[in-house]
Amino acid sequence: MQNSIRILMAAASIALLASCASTGENTDPAAQDVTQSEATAQPGQEAYSYPYGQAPGNYDSYDTASGAYGSYPSGSQPEYGQSGQPGSGQPGQYGQAPASLGGGSMVSADRIVYFDFDSADIQPESQTIIESNANYLRGNPRIITQLEGHTDERGSREYNIALGERRANAVRQVMSAMGVSPRQIRVVSYGEERPAASGSSEQSYALNRRVEIVY
Amino acid sequence: MKKFEKISCLLVLLFGVVGFVHAQISLDITKKAGNGGTPIVIAPFSGGAPEDIAGIIAADLQRTGKFALQPPNAQSDYSVVGQASPGGSRGYIVQFQLNDARGGSLLNLSFDIPANQLRPVAHRISDLIYEKLTGEKGLAGTRIAFIAGGGGVWYLVVTDADGQNPQVILRSSQPIMSPAWSPDGSSLAYVSFEGRRPQIIVQDVYSGARRVVSAAPGINGAPTWAPNGRRLAFTLSKDGNPEIYALDLATQAPVRLTSNGAIDTEPVWLPDGGLVFTSDRGGSPQLYRIGPGGGAAQRLTFEGDYNARPAVSPDGRYLAMMHRRGGRFYIAVLDLQTRQFRVLTSGGTDESPSFAPNGKMIIYSDGQRLAAVSVDGSIRQDLALRGRARDPAWAPYGR
Repeated sequence: MQNSIRILMAAASIALLASCASTGENTDPAAQDVTQSEATAQPGQEAYSYPYGQAPGNYDSYDTASGAYGSYPSGSQPEYGQSGQPGSGQPGQYGQAPASLGGGSMVSADRIVYFDFDSADIQPESQTIIESNANYLRGNPRIITQLEGHTDERGSREYNIALGERRANAVRQVMSAMGVSPRQIRVVSYGEERPAASGSSEQSYALNRRVEIVY
Repeated sequence: MKKFEKISCLLVLLFGVVGFVHAQISLDITKKAGNGGTPIVIAPFSGGAPEDIAGIIAADLQRTGKFALQPPNAQSDYSVVGQASPGGSRGYIVQFQLNDARGGSLLNLSFDIPANQLRPVAHRISDLIYEKLTGEKGLAGTRIAFIAGGGGVWYLVVTDADGQNPQVILRSSQPIMSPAWSPDGSSLAYVSFEGRRPQIIVQDVYSGARRVVSAAPGINGAPTWAPNGRRLAFTLSKDGNPEIYALDLATQAPVRLTSNGAIDTEPVWLPDGGLVFTSDRGGSPQLYRIGPGGGAAQRLTFEGDYNARPAVSPDGRYLAMMHRRGGRFYIAVLDLQTRQFRVLTSGGTDESPSFAPNGKMIIYSDGQRLAAVSVDGSIRQDLALRGRARDPAWAPYGR
């Protein structure tokens, strides 16, 4: 019984990892994204107290030599769904996209707006992309889009979160000016955390400074 | 020939200029921890314990950059001898002596501990020796939190200061950012994108219990604890653009401290209750200071074209930051008393500085790995972690 639960949980976590790599919909995403190990050890029980106390085995192990993180320690289960909420404020119903996604996790080129270094100015060549998506949203008032702001890897991570939001807001403003209802647009910034292209070349940086229009 | 001379002349000119720029920066570039410290012998511990106590002590002292380890039997200013053998009421008795060159005993202590405390006790001994001989509190017994992974799986990890004994505090398929220790070392505040939106979470590192302290629309970022541990400052953009807020953890009512059309983020608390934060209100990201209740902001940084991600030393005297000049990012430190500004690293993609609890070292990430540098620039350490490690936060001494 214990074993079958464990296998189920392992399968679930693999499925979750796969699903989270895509930009698709999750019904209760927060509960599925996170796992943490059970930590029951308390400090200070010995005359000589040490933070992690008496039961280091209760934590996941991280192999510094190989760089690989260990799996859950035997005897304890990964826990899903104990992260606090956020049940409210669901992203709404995601509709069918104006262009094909190809079933993959990549956002197609006609839904990406690129930016110059350290800039949130909309380039003239992005107007067409924003306009076609704005037209789609105007014609489908029940569809909600998420504008995801991104930056390249240079600079402070938290400042880049702010810069990514500034870019997403710039796209939102253009869409609003084109008549899209504010209720159809949500904004989230991932800063430099989710690059589209890896590597530290100017070419990668240019691909990573972007807003993805996600349905 | 003429042409060649002209080219070489140009080259000399070019390299001369480059050399000059480089020299300006390299004045402050640091050296690796070398052999220039106090000579000390750490003799192997007898007794057959399953941990190499002497080896752990030697590595700890070596890493401080203030000791030169000598081979056993060598003449030395100081020597450590000890043993770790089965016995006592808990499983092991660890005993050690620190002696000076004339054979006088400076420390002579023993510990009655269970087997899983052998390693922590070795760090404790290192810190006792370090404090006895330098007058400063040691760091061997401290911990470091950081974010590992990225690109699909993110980990919030806590390790000992030597990179050993890693514990995964949280694993997520969505980004985790900006861990910050509570002043008592019991909790971490951090940003988690679980549910595909940023939230600020406080998690007890011992029990694992976690609670969401902010999930406002827009950015929930850059949490930092007030020195008394009862308030958090962080960044919210719910009112239109990123502003600094302070939250009383008892009342859960966030109070807005900045009001500006630009980006305000990355707050850190000063001992007097004021805050330093990053803002691009002047055009580029720079550090500003406000009083405990907010009010007019005073610009603190003027060097280079980008200063962000401040960290405050425990005594409030120094500000460490990410500093950009010539397109490269360095860790720099500003002395708030003398206004002296010093670049501490050789630069590249250095980011996220955090002060050690004794105020002497700053840990940071070069974008891939963790390293530490002393506030005066004289000592440099690399942390032996494999895999990508970013956003380090050095834990306080704690309870």
